[in-house]
Amino acid sequence: MSSTYAVLAEFKNPGELMKAAETVRKAGYTKWDVHSPFPIHGMDDAMGLKPSKLGWLVFGHAVLGFTGAVTLLTWASSIAYPINISGKPFANFPAFVPIIFELTVLLSAFGAVFGMFFLNNMPRHHNPLFNSETIRRATDDGFFVVIESTDTLYHETKTAELLRSAGATLIEPISA
Amino acid sequence: MSTTPNTYWRSLNELARNDEYRQLVEREFPENASELTDGYSRRNFLQIMGASIALAGFTACRKPMQKIVPYTRMPENVVHGNPLHYATAMPFMGSVTGLVVTTHEGRPTKVEGNELHPDSLGGTHILHQASTLDLYDPDRSRGIRQGDEARTADDFAAFCASTFTRDKRVAFLSEASSSQTLNRLKRQIAGRFAASTWVTYEPFGEENVLLGTAMAFGAKRRPIHHYDKAAVIASFGDDFLAAGPDSVRAAKQLAKSRKVMSTEDGMNRLYVVESNYTLTGTNADHRIRVKESEIAQALFALAAALGADGFGGHTNAFTGNGDIARLAADLRGANGAALVTAGADQPPAVHAAVAAVNAALSAVGATVTYAALPFADAADQNAAFRALTADLAAGRYDALVMLGTNPVFTATGDVDFKAALSAVPAVVHLASHIDETSAALPSNGWHVPRAHYLEMWGDGLSFTGAASVIQPMIQPLFGAWSEIEVLSTILTGSRTGGHDLVKQTWTGSDWNRILHDGLQAGTSFPAATVRLTGAAAIRAAAEALPTVSGLEVAFKADPKLIDGRTANNGWLQELPDTITKITWDNVALMSPTTAAGYGVEFPRASILRAPADEEPMVAVNVNGKTLELAIWVVPGHADNAITVYTGYGRTHAGRVGNGIGVDVNPARTSSSPLFASATATRIRRTYPIASTQDHHSMEGRPLIREASLSGYREKPDFAAKMVKVPGPIDEAGQPISLFDEQTFPDHEPQWGMTIDLNACTGCGVCTIACQAENNIPVIGKKEVKRGREMHWIRVDRYFSGDVNGNPQVVHQPIPCMNCELAPCEQVCPVAATTHSDDGLNQMTYNRCIGTRYCANNCPFKVRRFNFFNYPKTWLIEGNDPEVVQMAMNPDVTVRFRGVMEKCTYCVQRLNRAKIETKRATGDSRKPADGTVKTACQQACPSDAIYFGDISDTESVVTRTKRNERNYLLLEELNIRPRTSYLAKLRNPNDATA
Amino acid sequence: MSQSTYVPEEPLVKGNHTFASITSLIADIPEQPTPKWWYIAFGISNILLGVLLMSIGYLFWEGTGIWGITNPVGWGWAIINFVWWVGIGHAGTLISAILYLFRQGWRTAINRFAEAMTIFAVICALIFPGIHVGRIWLAYWMFPLPNGMQMWPNFNSPLLWDVFAVSTYFTVSLLFWFVGLVPDFATLRDRVKSKLAAKIYGFFALGWTGGNRQWQHYEKAYMLLAGLATPLVLSVHTIVSFDFAVSVIPGWHTTIFPPYFVAGAIFSGFAMVMTLMLIARKLYKLEDIMTLDHIEKVNMVILVTGNMVGFAYIMEFFIAWYSGVTYEKAAFINRAMGPYAWAYWTMFLCNVISPQFFWSKKMRRSITASFILSIVVNIGMWFERFVITVTSLAQDFLPSSWGYYSPTKWDMLTYLGTFGLFFTFFLLFLRFLPMVAIAEVKMVMPQADPHHTDAHKGDH
Repeated sequence: MSSTYAVLAEFKNPGELMKAAETVRKAGYTKWDVHSPFPIHGMDDAMGLKPSKLGWLVFGHAVLGFTGAVTLLTWASSIAYPINISGKPFANFPAFVPIIFELTVLLSAFGAVFGMFFLNNMPRHHNPLFNSETIRRATDDGFFVVIESTDTLYHETKTAELLRSAGATLIEPISA
Repeated sequence: MSTTPNTYWRSLNELARNDEYRQLVEREFPENASELTDGYSRRNFLQIMGASIALAGFTACRKPMQKIVPYTRMPENVVHGNPLHYATAMPFMGSVTGLVVTTHEGRPTKVEGNELHPDSLGGTHILHQASTLDLYDPDRSRGIRQGDEARTADDFAAFCASTFTRDKRVAFLSEASSSQTLNRLKRQIAGRFAASTWVTYEPFGEENVLLGTAMAFGAKRRPIHHYDKAAVIASFGDDFLAAGPDSVRAAKQLAKSRKVMSTEDGMNRLYVVESNYTLTGTNADHRIRVKESEIAQALFALAAALGADGFGGHTNAFTGNGDIARLAADLRGANGAALVTAGADQPPAVHAAVAAVNAALSAVGATVTYAALPFADAADQNAAFRALTADLAAGRYDALVMLGTNPVFTATGDVDFKAALSAVPAVVHLASHIDETSAALPSNGWHVPRAHYLEMWGDGLSFTGAASVIQPMIQPLFGAWSEIEVLSTILTGSRTGGHDLVKQTWTGSDWNRILHDGLQAGTSFPAATVRLTGAAAIRAAAEALPTVSGLEVAFKADPKLIDGRTANNGWLQELPDTITKITWDNVALMSPTTAAGYGVEFPRASILRAPADEEPMVAVNVNGKTLELAIWVVPGHADNAITVYTGYGRTHAGRVGNGIGVDVNPARTSSSPLFASATATRIRRTYPIASTQDHHSMEGRPLIREASLSGYREKPDFAAKMVKVPGPIDEAGQPISLFDEQTFPDHEPQWGMTIDLNACTGCGVCTIACQAENNIPVIGKKEVKRGREMHWIRVDRYFSGDVNGNPQVVHQPIPCMNCELAPCEQVCPVAATTHSDDGLNQMTYNRCIGTRYCANNCPFKVRRFNFFNYPKTWLIEGNDPEVVQMAMNPDVTVRFRGVMEKCTYCVQRLNRAKIETKRATGDSRKPADGTVKTACQQACPSDAIYFGDISDTESVVTRTKRNERNYLLLEELNIRPRTSYLAKLRNPNDATA
Repeated sequence: MSQSTYVPEEPLVKGNHTFASITSLIADIPEQPTPKWWYIAFGISNILLGVLLMSIGYLFWEGTGIWGITNPVGWGWAIINFVWWVGIGHAGTLISAILYLFRQGWRTAINRFAEAMTIFAVICALIFPGIHVGRIWLAYWMFPLPNGMQMWPNFNSPLLWDVFAVSTYFTVSLLFWFVGLVPDFATLRDRVKSKLAAKIYGFFALGWTGGNRQWQHYEKAYMLLAGLATPLVLSVHTIVSFDFAVSVIPGWHTTIFPPYFVAGAIFSGFAMVMTLMLIARKLYKLEDIMTLDHIEKVNMVILVTGNMVGFAYIMEFFIAWYSGVTYEKAAFINRAMGPYAWAYWTMFLCNVISPQFFWSKKMRRSITASFILSIVVNIGMWFERFVITVTSLAQDFLPSSWGYYSPTKWDMLTYLGTFGLFFTFFLLFLRFLPMVAIAEVKMVMPQADPHHTDAHKGDH
């Protein structure tokens, strides 16, 4: 039992995969995922995933970048070491705009990329999935449903049966 | 110290020239030749000075041994970091000018004019300012030599004792000198030898003037002009503003009556009759351009028109000439307040005629007085020199003593002095360098290193007769001798120190007082009473003068190098010529029309065309010689005439001066050294010329604002009104800006500058003074040609009017304007250039990373960038850089490669003054008005630069800024320059207009 | 209601490819033996790279004096090359970001190597601000780092804005590019035979599984990045243009610069994309992915931006005349008729006249025409920067300080060298990385649509 990490089922094409995903969802499984070479439109609904939280992460970083920039510029040029430059005010905000903008964008970008890695718990180089040769095709032209053995509804034969009924062309267990 | 002497600062890349030069050095300076006579071997001499760029530590061994008296009330003992100021005087062409020398720890670093001295009144000219660099010239001769052998001082004394015995026939050749001590010894010599002759040889001296006055009055008299007393001045080829024995006094007096501060003020009127455009010509209200050979004729026509003695009924090509007629009328109209002068290089007859004309104008005693010179030789020294050369060649002398002078180089082509030398059994040449003459000495000839005036005791008379003592600032660097030391050794057979010799002359005088003040108070030449006796002789001489019908070549002394004596001075070589802006070369100057004849188009550059990389050349055939020179077009030059400058093409000047330009002396003849008939043909070769200003026109932009005196009286604020500043004006009267400007604290002085374009003559002394004060490197011809000149204050020159006819020239000194809203500051990414509380636009060298953005964004292009490590080549790598390092001002950083630099109103002087004021008053940081001067302001002979605290409403500078002539350059950019200009005025004769 | 009403749009991928054939078409390239031409090209690039290093070394040793710069022209080829390379570096992110937001499916064919080009171009650009300063070893003072002097950079300086803009742009472009690469790294990880290669690709794949729970965040992230990169890409050349526009120099001090620079950047960027695309599709037989339709679309962009630039040129003259400012007028007389007129008219010919050919469809779809014109355009854009930088400085306010700038051999060698750097990177990219975004191409294939199969079965 414990030697099995999950069961893997392959489907013909994105359409089939989508239907299978709906079946699995209706069956009430929670610890499962579908694997495809490219994102499939509507799959999120098919799997009943909640919308990504990433937006909030990015917004947080944007705020950080903006306030950080404003603080750095005003502090450095009007508190830490005020210098009369061309007779301009120490805190010369019109001149600060470009840098504030750039830093805001930079931090947001960090938020977007590293936030995404975080949510996808990447990098993760040792994933039991990789024990399966078959799933490698998920990055080529394979369309798979994977249900983890730790799912409460998981049953070696019943689950396989469900997947077969959903139109799986191939079913194999993945060892842990 | 690098073993291979680098190419100095002539060029950064011509390292190939090194070997050649090293051989030269080895031949000329054998190892032991560089032993110093004061007991320090060269090696520990260097140890003492330290091998680094550190500029201190030299005092210990260089302080003069005799007691000299500081100019200021400072304590005698040196406070490190505080410079001392001593009065002394610089001899030049037979006259001395009183100076005050700044010394740092025993190193003279800067000269200023002596305000107590009547011929300086605090002003200086370019040769004064550049003289400190000559002192520290590493190419100076390092010791006594006989042939190629090094000799000691004792050897020389022994030689003198054995050679100069009473039975000998001895000839002496000296530069013009008014030194009382020298003349005392000279008198002793007279009866000392079996036969002796003394010839004063000064290639561009005043001998012609003296001969002229001798012709007129029966005795040599020096005319002394009082320009300040003259309402109308007419100069016939007399460039009296160019650096010369009397130029500082002339500039002061001329400027005095040109500082028009209100519509009531009057202004003198200057006519200049000349061929080439000279500095004086650019300041003329009327310039009459005639060929060099015609100047005399124009003068004689004037003399006739004015009914001067001896010219009754005289007629020539200029008789009835409109300009001359109007000039005559104007001079006569000035009734007594008129003055006519002629260039010292004009023939004697001209000067005689000038004497007659001045007499006719009853100017004598008013605008011109005559002085009898105690030291003048009665005989015609030009003739005497020719005779001496012949006698020497004929072996009529056993010995020749040359005190200075470089006749082998400077003599005219028909005088073969070199050949004459070889016929003399014993020759002694006192010279600062192994120059052409020393190099041409016979194998047993003696070369004695000549002392610089800053390292010797001496004395002399100023042009107007003020008596001064020359006191040394430093021990002779290379065991050099002064003229009087050599003379006395020849007389006595043993060396007597200059100090004792001079002291003997001045026994009974208030020695300390004289040293302190720099002159003997109240001394001057008494005005000699003169009677015009030679009318007939003048007429005869005048009508005998040759004229040239076709193309003629005029040979003029270079305004910077004179006869070549200063050719090894990098500051002077790199100082742009006042008219052509050429550096490091001499050229064939001619008018656009003449140049067109050789297929050269004018202008050389315009907004639509960049200048060619190299200049076309002509071969000028004159007196059987051929001069190949680059053609340079000078608008306003007389047509069908070419002007060339002497002093170039030297072969033994040193690493700076060797091979610069073309030597024109061979083409001159002693009979007519000034001009000669010539033919010229364009040749295929081209030649690169490094000029710092390619464009001759202001492109109709209101940069230099000018009006006639009458125009100014009608509309006094014409200058300010010339430009409409767009947009509304704030309550401070400034154009509004988008942001609230920073304000300046009240406890700080607010520095500002005003430059009076009407007083400025354009002589360029400000540039050299700035260079000396601020350790500005000399970068060489190649770099200047690339437009990388480093001068912090430059003098812009523009031509206006008909460039093919008789255009006018205006000069505009451009330092950093220290804009309050400086465009350069905001663009620097690292805040290396910022604004100080006292309103300076300051450079932080050690913060600068060299993006050059500030220079790009400077509307005046006054910022200078160290594209290479310029100081390295002459402060670190030279074959003994320590010597040059001594010339540096320790108060100013020497800038490194990749750093931007610029004028900061001599911030080191300002801060010193602020600190001293604070120490004195306890709180105030505002020095009293006039107590702090910038280097350019202090050097200016015409006081054209005003500087001070503009927060003080009564300071001189503030009052000038309130003047109606005041205007801001590029005011419309709302950058608020702290430097403003007073518009230029001319005073044309409406009758001529 | 039936498939008769269902008209699939013109396919973006020509030929009838399956997912697998697409994968192998691109992902197998790193597996194939290295072609001979690659070695030759790489060799040449390396020589040029050597030239770059040598000229920088000499510059470091001697000082900026080895260049032609002088008074009054303080900026020469270095800044010109900087602006030119940055301009080229605009296409990639623009294609990836803006076209992505506009749902331009055709971008997938070219976005990957356009982004690569962007990154390499920006690297080339970034060299110049670093080395053009007088004291190269202190260039880092431009960054706000705490230091012994207690000094901070001058935040009023456009040059400092540049530092932030360009480095931000570089970082974000790099991230964007990498994010796009992750699924393709995974593809390679799962395909390559060599263990080592698998490890390396695997390392960069960061354990990508292609699970939809990853795709969900991934797509969100990609969309957000696109949203961020869009204003960024427009800001970069705007800020670069501030270097000139914020100054007081006539010919620089112009409000039209930001839009004009951005248009110019897109113009040159797309031209460079075109050049490289034509080479790549030929060498790697990618005609099916980079189709004539792509070429035509890129040419359309070139035509449009070219005309925008042309408009800016003419508008500058109008404003100069209309402003009535002496110096401004003189600056433009100087440009068109002055010592540098040759440069101005070269620029005008290349940037304004030559794109007009693309009004004809035949030209737009002609490989040769596209290739030649794309190169002509980039020559023109280099001259644009030359004209702006040099002519304005050479003759500004005071005629006394006017001068003429001409480059030295070191200026030229340094510029030449940057091509070595660029192509060294680019060839490595072609050799070892998927030059087309595999996953994204698959996504725009008809089969990728879940309803595609139903449509064919017709059970609606």
